[in-house]
This record gives sequence, C-alpha cells and structure tokens, in this order.
Amino acid sequence: MDQLVFDPSKVMAIDHTRRTEYLGALLAYRTGLRTLKEVAYTPSLPDRGYNNRSLYVNVDTLEVTEKPVTQQMKDVFIGGRGFGLYHLWNAVQPTTKWNDPENEIIISPGPVCGITQYAGTGKSLVVTLSPQTEIPIDSNVGGFFGPLLKFSGFDALELQGKSTKDVILFIDGVKGLIRIDEAPEGPVDSHVLGELLTHLYAENDADLPNVSVVSTGAAAEHSLIGMLNFSFYDRRRGCVRFKQAGRGGIGTVFRDKRIRAVVCRGPKVAGDLNHPADPETIARTGIKYHKEIREQDPHQCMMRRNGTAHIVEIMNAYDLLPVHNFQFGSHPDTHKIDSSYWQQRCTQTTVDGCWYGCSMACAKGADGVVLKTGPYQGHMVTVDGPEYENAAGLGSNCGVFDPDYLLELNFYCDTYGICTITYGTLTAFIMECYQRGILNKERTGGLELTWGNAEADLEMMHQMARGTGFGKVAGLGVKKMKAHFIAQGWGDPQLINDIGMENKGLEYSQYMSKESLAQQGGYALTNKGPQHDEAWLIFMDMVNKQLPTFEAKAEALYYFPLFRTWFGLNGFCKLPWNDVVPADNSSQPEPQKVPEHVQNYVDLFTATTGIKITKEDLIMQSARVYNFQRVFNIRMGKGLRLHDAAPYRSLGPVTREEYESRTERYDKQLLDELGIDPAGKSTEEKMALHRTWRTDRFSQLMDSVYTRRGWTLDGVPTLERLRELGLDAFPEVVAVVKQFI
Amino acid sequence: MGVIVVNEEPLGWHEGMTVRDILRAKNYRFPMLIIHVNGLLIAKPDYGTTTVPDSAIVQVIHLISGG
Amino acid sequence: MKQLVIDFQKCNAGRDCAHECELECAIKVFKKDDPTLAALHIKAHEDGGGHAVICDQCGDCIVVCPSEALRRNKLGVVMLDKKVCVGCYMCIGFCEKGAFEYDPDWITPYKCTSCGVCVKVCPHGALQIVEVPEPAVRII
Repeated sequence: MDQLVFDPSKVMAIDHTRRTEYLGALLAYRTGLRTLKEVAYTPSLPDRGYNNRSLYVNVDTLEVTEKPVTQQMKDVFIGGRGFGLYHLWNAVQPTTKWNDPENEIIISPGPVCGITQYAGTGKSLVVTLSPQTEIPIDSNVGGFFGPLLKFSGFDALELQGKSTKDVILFIDGVKGLIRIDEAPEGPVDSHVLGELLTHLYAENDADLPNVSVVSTGAAAEHSLIGMLNFSFYDRRRGCVRFKQAGRGGIGTVFRDKRIRAVVCRGPKVAGDLNHPADPETIARTGIKYHKEIREQDPHQCMMRRNGTAHIVEIMNAYDLLPVHNFQFGSHPDTHKIDSSYWQQRCTQTTVDGCWYGCSMACAKGADGVVLKTGPYQGHMVTVDGPEYENAAGLGSNCGVFDPDYLLELNFYCDTYGICTITYGTLTAFIMECYQRGILNKERTGGLELTWGNAEADLEMMHQMARGTGFGKVAGLGVKKMKAHFIAQGWGDPQLINDIGMENKGLEYSQYMSKESLAQQGGYALTNKGPQHDEAWLIFMDMVNKQLPTFEAKAEALYYFPLFRTWFGLNGFCKLPWNDVVPADNSSQPEPQKVPEHVQNYVDLFTATTGIKITKEDLIMQSARVYNFQRVFNIRMGKGLRLHDAAPYRSLGPVTREEYESRTERYDKQLLDELGIDPAGKSTEEKMALHRTWRTDRFSQLMDSVYTRRGWTLDGVPTLERLRELGLDAFPEVVAVVKQFI
Repeated sequence: MGVIVVNEEPLGWHEGMTVRDILRAKNYRFPMLIIHVNGLLIAKPDYGTTTVPDSAIVQVIHLISGG
Repeated sequence: MKQLVIDFQKCNAGRDCAHECELECAIKVFKKDDPTLAALHIKAHEDGGGHAVICDQCGDCIVVCPSEALRRNKLGVVMLDKKVCVGCYMCIGFCEKGAFEYDPDWITPYKCTSCGVCVKVCPHGALQIVEVPEPAVRII
C-alpha cells in the first residue's frame, strides 16, 4: 500500500534502438509523388508568440492562401482551440455535416507553444465538426507539428475541401514553400507512413527532428472514431513516435477529405524562436520548474518513470478503475497491468518528452514488442505508453489483464488511427452486450466478445481497419450502435441506453463517475462530450468531501473547466500543472489549484506576449472561448440541457450485480441521504429508489452549474453573460442565443 | 475503543495510532496528500511517527493527477 | 575523465584572495569582466569554511538533454554543442550541484569544462585538474 519504489535493476533489458524498418518503400514513394500545386511564401518566426497570419489550404480547389490573424482574434480567442473554433465558425453553416466539403480541420498551437524552457509547451489544438457528435470537437495533442508550424510562420492551419485523390500537404518552413502532392499507392498506417514521410521530407539525418507528420490509419477510413497522429522524432531510439489527437473522429474527417498526411519541416529549433517579450522570466520559471520535477517527482507521481499509468493502481485502490464497462471499480488482476509492471517494461534510459524541455517526460515507450496478430504480425515495434487511459480502457474496462495483449491493442489503435479511449469504451459496451445476450456469436459474425478475450478484441479492430464484419459496426461508436441494436430488437432498449457510456455521441473516458456527483457533471456538462480534460473532481468530491453542496460543486464546475480550457488556448499540456506540486503546496491556500503553478502560467503568458494578465484574467480568457463554443453547439442544433443528459451507468448502479458489489455504500446512502431504511427491501426496490434520487440530484446539479456559468436553465448563455465577456461584439453569436431567450 | 473522524467518516482509534496507520486503514495510496490532524498540517516524512489522539478530526486531502 | 577539484585545506573561500579563479574564468572563457558569470563559484561560510560550486562531470545532464547536445569529449569532459542545444535548461534544473549556469544574454547554458584556466591563477594552488574514472550512467 505504500508508494511504489523505482528499482532500476528490474527494468527489462530491451534494446530500444531495434525495430522493424519500413524505409524499403522510400524510393518508390519519392518517385511516385506527383506535385499538384506548389506555392512559394516567405517564412517567418513568431514575434511575442504570434506570426500574425494563418494558412488556409483547400485540398479540392488547391487554393493556398495566407490570412491575417487580427488583433480581435488575439484579444478574444487567444490561439489554439480559440482560433480553431473561430475559423470553424466562419467555415460552416448550421446545416453543415462533418463530411461536407466546407467542414474544416484546424490545427493551431497557441502563443506560448514552442517555448522550450517549461514542461508541456508543444501542444496543438485540433478542431473540426465531429462525425460522432456533429458539433465542434477539440483535441489537445503533443508531438512537434504545432511548434514547427509556428516556426514556419503560421499561427494556425485550416484544411478545407474534399480531394478526389489522396494528397499530402507539405509545408517547408525553411525553403518557404507549400506543396500539395498526390500520394502514390502505399501505406496509410501511421507507424509506417510516419517513418517514410519523415525520411522523405527531411534533407538529411540531422534534419529528421525538424520534420513532423500528421497522419492517421486504415481504420479512420472505415469508422467514425478516427484520430490523428502527430509525430516527433525520437533521437535516442532513432525512430518516429506519435502523440494522438484522439477524441471525436478527427482522423475520420481527415481521410474523408482524402488527406493522407500533412508534413511540416521547420527550422532547427532553438530556445528563442518564439521571440518572447521577456525571455529571462521564461527561463527562470522553467529552471525553477525543472528543479521541482527533479526534487519532487520521485516522491510524488513518478511521472518520469511511469507516465500517467501510475494511477492504474490508485484508481483500483479507490474503487474507481473502470472494470467491465464501468460496472465495477476494481479487479484482483489489476496488478498485472499497473505501473509496477510498466516501469519495468518501458525503457527508462531515454528522454520521453513529446516536446523539448518537458522534464515531466510522461511519453513512455515500450520497445521490442513483437506483434502476434494482424498485418504486422511478427514485426518488432515500439509502443507508445501505455498511458492510464489505455491501460484502463483497453485493459480493465474490457477485462483484458494481459499486458502483452494490452500493448498490442494500444499499438494497433495508434497505427490504425483510432482513439484508444473511444475504442476501449465502445468495446466494453459491446462485451457487456455480449454478456447480457444483446449480442451473440451470430450477431457479431463469429467474434466471441467475452470479457478479456483479447484475440477477438484484436480481430474486431483488424476488421475495423479493413472495413469488414462486426468491426465496421463497432466503428460507428456507442451512440449509433445503441440505436442499431435497439432497431434490430436485440435487447431491452432501456438497458442498452443505460449501459452505453456516451454523452453527446462521444464515449466516456476511463474514470468511474458513479459515486461522485461533481464528476457526473464534470463529464456530462462539457462542451465537446465526456472527456476528463474539463474537470476531474472525483477526489475533491467523493474522497475529500470538499464539495458538500450543490453550490460548491457548481463552483468547481465553473472554475476548473475554465482553468483547464486555458491550456488549449495557449499550447500547454495539462499534466505539468498538477501531476507534480511544489514542496510547500500543502500550506498554500486552495492547494487543489496549485497556486504556484497557476502563477507560473500567468507569468509565462505575460512573458511571452508582453500582455500583463492576472489569474482572474486567465479565467476570463477561457470563459470567452468556452461560452463561444457553447453557443457554437447551439448554433449546430445541440448544446441545450437535453444534450447534456447522462447515461444512467455514469450516475448509478444499473444492474443488480453493480448494486450488490457496493451494497454497504448504497444501503447507507438510502438511510443517510433519503432517510429510508433499506432493511427488508429487495435489491430491485433499492435500485429504483437510488435511480430516482440520483437522477433528481443530477438535474439539480445542472440547475446549479448552469446558473453559476451564467446560462439559462436550458443551458443557453444569457445575453448578460455574453456582454460581460465581450461576445456581444459578434452579432451572429448574439443571434443564435436570442432564439432561445 | 475510541473513534476519530477521517474525511467526515468515523474510523476506529487505538492507542499509538499514527497517520500512516490511518492511510493503511483507509487504503489511501495516492502519493499527493495533504493531511491535517485537528487542523495541524502533518509533513509527509512524519506520517509514520505522528500519533493521532482519540476523537481527532483528520482531513486527508487528495490532490489531482492524471485526469 | 578530467575533473576540477578544490582543496579547502588551501582555499580560504576568498577571504584572502580576489577570487582570481572566478574572474579568470569569466574573462578568459566567457569574455565578460564579471565573476558572477564564471563557471565555478567559491562561497564562504559564516562559520569559517567554504564550499565550491563546480561541475564534477558526473554526466547527469547528458541523460536528461532532449536534443543530445551534451556529450563527453575524448577527455571525458561533458561538453555542450551550442549548435544542437535547444535552450530548454533541463541540464540546469537537473544538476544537483547547481553547476550548470544561465546568463540572460545567451540562449544556451554553460558550465565548467575542466579547462584549467582557474588552476593557473589560484594564489594558493588550491585548484587542480585530476583524472578520475567516469561514473556509471544514472537513470534520472
């Protein structure tokens, strides 16, 4: 029960420089490219974090245009997710569907992105209309593409149109050219394509780290859950690695546009390319933070050794690890896939930041993995992570506790271009449907999708990549599967709706919200759908009991989503904020907010842009974009109270087994919270009482949160709130809201 | 036998009970905790040596990580 | 490997000298007439003794450098290749001896390279360059 101690002697001796190479096709690829368009431009470096221009590319008409980044854009939208939403708003109509040519994929770093002195500063935000939710999705992704795009002269990249043939967009920020090439026949899966294109577009070996490739994989073509891989060249391993813009099907839109890859080649990175207003403050803040990681991380989360996988055993200990489609919160086999294993299995002698200067270095990698199935059977590969979400989603939530299979599932999700979180949750749903007879071997085309059957799980994934069989059904995601199963008459519609863990069409990420009302809101009352990047309040609420009232929960659901939105406006990663804390954090007021780190962020923004802000301004910056996104959802015909509804599995026990796994807790709640003596009542009676109470509580939470956020009880931002935020300067925004007020 | 309150829930107390004993009893394994015993902040190196009096009010604040 | 060492039997922590070592380092190596910018620092303690902040070429910084800008040269001395360095300062933050330095005028950090210019000017002969075995690589 005491904290795990890292023992270097237990780390497996695996040669991290060995893997299957895919450069054989390089020559054919080089000669097979056919240039469709080439445009010269003048490269630039940012000044105080901004280039003040963005790049627009239409892959159908081959239009390539520079657009100015206006002062208003910077003032209201800051960058990153803000710029993405702004461009998307201007590109689409309320009637636009995800696969219409006018839908865009926008990739934008943020003003601070690209500094090298602080941890977690290489992030890009990717925004598009999601095939799963039909509203804007935003995804925060590492890798080198965002910083290199900025150092090539652009604060954002808009991709619009639909090509009739596979194209590669190449931005050469050194030579100053933008090229659209027709791609020859060849691989689409990221681990092959990323390696090929990195070598193809780099001038020489020393140039490899200056090239980053955005790509997806075969499954993105046949599913709605495709993601984008953003590459970075790992010098010590000598290989191309990836971070993922996972959620919401962005990879699906990418392939629907017939974009095979977007490649950026930037200048050699140095510490001052972002040209901040006050480099000295950035340097001192960064050095202070690196020291904090060195001194504190070994005694806190050990992010440098385990990455986010360190919380597998923590979640299990607190009954919060999703097991068997979020039915249960722990499992006796969890030790097989917890960080005591991963810190031995992952290479520990390398540098695992996904951008320079990330001393937190959570991007762990398992080397020497020899694949057992699929088109790359027998190949030796490096698998990213696994991160917590993957270990929990692909692992415990599906009952897979074999770490080798978990790595293989993780690998194929990555190279096929599908979101591990989404795949984990939808497979868990399928397996529970199988358990309950909603699915069977006949309905799955022969796949025995029982808990823990990793071979069937992998076969379903291979089918998804081939666009065949039940894998194609699975690739529709939970929401559409629910409708499909119900339409086929395969089971009780209420049960199917209760156990399908999606909200707004997006699958839940891998935390159990059942016992934390605040987290139920943290998931369901989000802009893009149930992803924990807005708020993670389970400990504050359920364990610490710090949020006893609806008002306290609403305050947390006001502050934290706004605070965390800010990372995506500026190009930050969330993890360095609170996966390590200063030694004296415990004696600070509001230690949950990690006040010293909040001040670091305020300082980094001011030092980069020269615009002096306070921590209150930081929240206002986020509030503008957050409310704009809410209005955007409403404009697309969603974004109201009814769209924030949560599946009952996320609110309480759906089944008898779930109730009985926590009888003591649930019975006590009946007595303490409802004043009902559970004695003599059947489990079904007690479940019904819980359901009424929990559903009502969630509704009351919605009221409190909407009120705190300055929204109507239908979830619509009020005109007063828009005025406070200065969003009344946009008549179109006001017009959307006026229809509901 | 005495009782203490940990995060607003009662927990059986015994003579010589340390902060570490409480963490074991509650299975609080998270590495980033802020612990107050009767309002007094206890430093991490002292968890094993700090004894908790009967009827103590103990707050074990878990910070956030991962998510 | 070559390592700079100091003998506090001989060094009086600047009490009876003009910090010639620091000054010489700043002027000769970094072309700045400011001893605070030297790659070694001798600090006097109130109780009489002193300590030195000197790079002992342990190599921890090589392990954490994301751009492989730090390598040992033929003499075993840890050298920074400024052309490769991305200025992240992880070497500074992870140096337990505090021997990696930052100067606001430069993007790249710096440290002692066991060059020995300080050895020659020490009036007490307290500094010397010695040959010691390279330590094993640590996981940091």
